[in-house]
Amino acid sequence: MNVSTQTWIVVADDPAVSGLVTTARGLGGAVSAVVVGRKSVADSVARAGVDEVLWLGEPGDGAPVEAYAGEVARVLAEAGAAPLAVVGATTPAGRALLGAVAARFQVPVLAGLRGATLEGDAVVVERSVLGGIAERRVQVVGGPSVLAVAAGGVTDEGTAAAVREVPAQPLGAARVTDVRVKEQTGVDLGAARAVVAVGRGLKAQADLDLITDLAAAAGAELACSRPLAEGVDWVAKERYIGISGQHIAPELYVAVGISGQLQHMVGVRDAKVVVAINSDKAAPVFAQCDYGIVGDLYEVVPALAAALRAGS
Amino acid sequence: MKIVVAYKWAPNPQDAEVAPDGSVDWSRAKGAVSEYDPVAFEAARQLADATGGEVVGLTVGAASVDSPLARKAALSRGLDRLVVVADDRLADADGTRLAAVLAAAVRSIGDVDLVLAGDSSVDVAEGQVPMTLAGQLGWLGMAAVSGVTPSADGVVVERDLPGGITTLALTGPAVLAVTTDAVVPRVPGMKDILGAAKKPVEVVPLDALEVPDVVAATTLSGSRPETGNRRGVIIDGADASSAAAELVAALRTARAL
Repeated sequence: MNVSTQTWIVVADDPAVSGLVTTARGLGGAVSAVVVGRKSVADSVARAGVDEVLWLGEPGDGAPVEAYAGEVARVLAEAGAAPLAVVGATTPAGRALLGAVAARFQVPVLAGLRGATLEGDAVVVERSVLGGIAERRVQVVGGPSVLAVAAGGVTDEGTAAAVREVPAQPLGAARVTDVRVKEQTGVDLGAARAVVAVGRGLKAQADLDLITDLAAAAGAELACSRPLAEGVDWVAKERYIGISGQHIAPELYVAVGISGQLQHMVGVRDAKVVVAINSDKAAPVFAQCDYGIVGDLYEVVPALAAALRAGS
Repeated sequence: MKIVVAYKWAPNPQDAEVAPDGSVDWSRAKGAVSEYDPVAFEAARQLADATGGEVVGLTVGAASVDSPLARKAALSRGLDRLVVVADDRLADADGTRLAAVLAAAVRSIGDVDLVLAGDSSVDVAEGQVPMTLAGQLGWLGMAAVSGVTPSADGVVVERDLPGGITTLALTGPAVLAVTTDAVVPRVPGMKDILGAAKKPVEVVPLDALEVPDVVAATTLSGSRPETGNRRGVIIDGADASSAAAELVAALRTARAL
C-alpha cells in the first residue's frame, strides 16, 4: 500500500456508498472506510470495493449517527499516514461527519463535485459553486481534500474487505426515542424519466391544466421554474427546478414558457434531451435546447399532447 | 436556556451575473437575511419564550454584514441581542473558516445551550457550515431538523430523515440546522422594526477571538457552467399541429420518448 495516497470514505449508517467509492477510487491508491452504524452496513460497505473497513461498533442507547462524528475525525487523525482525501455523502448525516473531519484538519469541505483527479501528488477538484451558477477548479494544499458527493447506490463487488471494530465513544447529548415511517407524499423528480416544466409564460393558474395534460401525455412529472413556486405559489416548491431547487437529469426535459436563465438551466444541465417551447424567439432557452418550438404555448402545448397521444 | 441563532447576511444568486471565466457579479444582488434563516430565528424565539431563555443573534462575515439595514433586519426577528464579527478579511472565507470564527464567537458568548441555524444558505447552498460549526465546537450537529420543542429536561428534536420521522431527546449542547417545515416565521411588524433599534449590538473584533488557522482551497481556474452545448433544432410553431408532429417525430428518432 502506498501510504501517500491513502483515501478514506466516511459512512453514516447508509449502505449506499457507490458514489463515495467511485470518487475515492478515482484518486488511485488504497481506499479505507470508516463506518458509523449497524454491523450490517459495515458488512455491506466491505463488499462495495474498498480495501478495509473500520467499524465504530453497534450504536448503543439510541445515539444518533451524528454523535459519532468527532470519533470518525479522531480515527482519521490517528490513522498514521495523513489522509490524501476524505469522501463523504451530501446527506444530512454525511455532512455532519464531513463537518467534524473538516474541523479536525481545519480544511474546507468541497461540495458540488463534478470531478476529482490526482495530478502529481495533488487532488484537483472540479466543482459547482453557488448553487451551480459557476464552476471552479481548486486544490487544497496543506491538508486532506474533504469531498462531499452524492451517495449513489448499494453495490456488491463480490469480495469482502476485512471489517475491524474500533472502539468509539459517542457524544451523549441526544437519544433517539422514536422513528416513524413517512407517508410518501413528496414527488421524486430525480427519478422521473421525463419532466415537463412551466414558467412565467403561463398566464393563469387555471391554465396549469394544459401543462399537466401534456405531462400526462408524455408520461412525465410536472415541474416549474422559480417564479411559479416562490413568486405566485401555483406549483409546489419541491417541483421547482434551479439553483436553490431541484437539480435533475431526466431523459427528456420540456421547458414550457421558461426564458432560460442560467439559474434555471443549471438545474437540468445533465438532462439527456432538452425541449423548449416559447413565444419569444430571442429567449435564451433556444440556445440551450436540443429542440425548440417558437410559438404560443396555448396552441403548441395542446397540439403536442395530441401528437404524443396519437403516436402512442 | 441561552440560544444562539447563527445566521447569514447574503446576496441571492438569482440576481447574480456570471462571466465566461466564472467570476460572479453581485452588483445587482442586495444582501438580506439568508432565505432559510428566518425559521431559525422563530424557532429560537418560541423555545426561549417557553423556557424563559435568551436569544442571541450571531453573524460573521465581511464588513457589509454589519450595515444598519442588516442589524435591523436581524434584530426585528425576535432576538434579544446581536453579536457581530464583521471584517473584510472574512470576505472570501470558506465555510470551515466561517465555522471556526462562529465557534470562537459562541465560546466568547459563553454558556450557550443551543445553536440554531437555517438548513442551508441562499448563496452557497451546501448546508455544510452548521455541521462544520458543530465539529469546531465538538458538539453534536444535526441537520434536517423539522421541529424543536421544549421538554421537562431539555428539548425534543424532530428530524425528517430518509429513514423516517425521527424524534430525539436532546439534553446536551448541539447545533441544529432547521428546515422550513419547523415553524412559520413571523413577518416583522412596525413594532418589531422600531424595537430593533433599542436592542444591544456587540461588535466583536476578529482579532479578539481565538480562531485556529484554516487551510483555504486554492482556485486554479473558473468557468461558467456549459448549458448551451445542445443540438439547437428550432421549429416554427406558427402551425402548432405540424410543429408538434415534427417534434414528436424528432424525439422518437432521438429515443427520448
